[in-house]
Amino acid sequence: MLFYSYFKTLVGKEVTVELKNDLAITGTLHSVDQYLNIKLNNIRVVNEQKYPHMLSVRACFVRGSVVRYVQLPPGSVDVELLHDATRREARGG
Amino acid sequence: MAEEENTVREPLDLIRLSLDEKVYVKLKGERELRGKLHAYDQHLNMILGDVEETVTSVEIDEETFEEIIKASEGDSSRMVPYLFVRGDGVILVSPPLRS
Amino acid sequence: MSAPGGDAGLAQYVDTTVSVITNDGRTIVGTLRGYDQATNLILDECHERVYSSKNGVEQLVLGLYVIRGDNIAVIGEIDDDKDASIDFNQVRAPPLKSVAH
Repeated sequence: MLFYSYFKTLVGKEVTVELKNDLAITGTLHSVDQYLNIKLNNIRVVNEQKYPHMLSVRACFVRGSVVRYVQLPPGSVDVELLHDATRREARGG
Repeated sequence: MAEEENTVREPLDLIRLSLDEKVYVKLKGERELRGKLHAYDQHLNMILGDVEETVTSVEIDEETFEEIIKASEGDSSRMVPYLFVRGDGVILVSPPLRS
Repeated sequence: MSAPGGDAGLAQYVDTTVSVITNDGRTIVGTLRGYDQATNLILDECHERVYSSKNGVEQLVLGLYVIRGDNIAVIGEIDDDKDASIDFNQVRAPPLKSVAH
């Protein structure tokens, strides 16, 4: 629940989702669900020359299971908040 | 309470003690991360800060000569300010050395 | 159709053209007719776009497909006008990698 809750706070922000097939997609975070499936709007693929496979795609749904990384906007990371939430979750689970 | 917070009974306790410390994370696909641990959960999903990612070997498509040359170029490394890492790719997490 | 709780939220893509990237790196384009909470999809009038570094994109007609959610990496909402403006015979790109490992 920690990361689901955290990603919900990033809705509307720009993130880059890096997939396990090496695709990296930058877009505005539209929504996230409990599986950490991610929906992005106004997307662009990093290195479009090499990956023209999504040239005509404007928005997408990324299955949580294929995500390797998400690059987070530095202004939206409150480390104290994350530490507290992590300790709370560690006690609970 | 304080004592309970410091006891190590299970692997994740050790990771809890690494919060806000620099950790080393080894991932599938010959990837390594070094960064400050800011959050994690029971799946080992994590948020790291000031992360250095190193990819030691590029996957080789054995049918094309071109990519074999790329693989021999060796290590590549980059810095990312904040990175969410999905836990299913994590092989190991090493807490900071306390020396 | 849209299950509460685990809703993948694909309602807005229904009856639009989508591009599905599968875990083995294939790209399948079609009209999304339905989905469930496991991201299983019904894709109507779909075709595969086969990318190659040597030749232009080859389009293979597939018809009506049900794709199992476990094998889906990305579902992209296609801008039909933009898609029509692309000359796929001129696009050269290696196939996408699989998401394995």
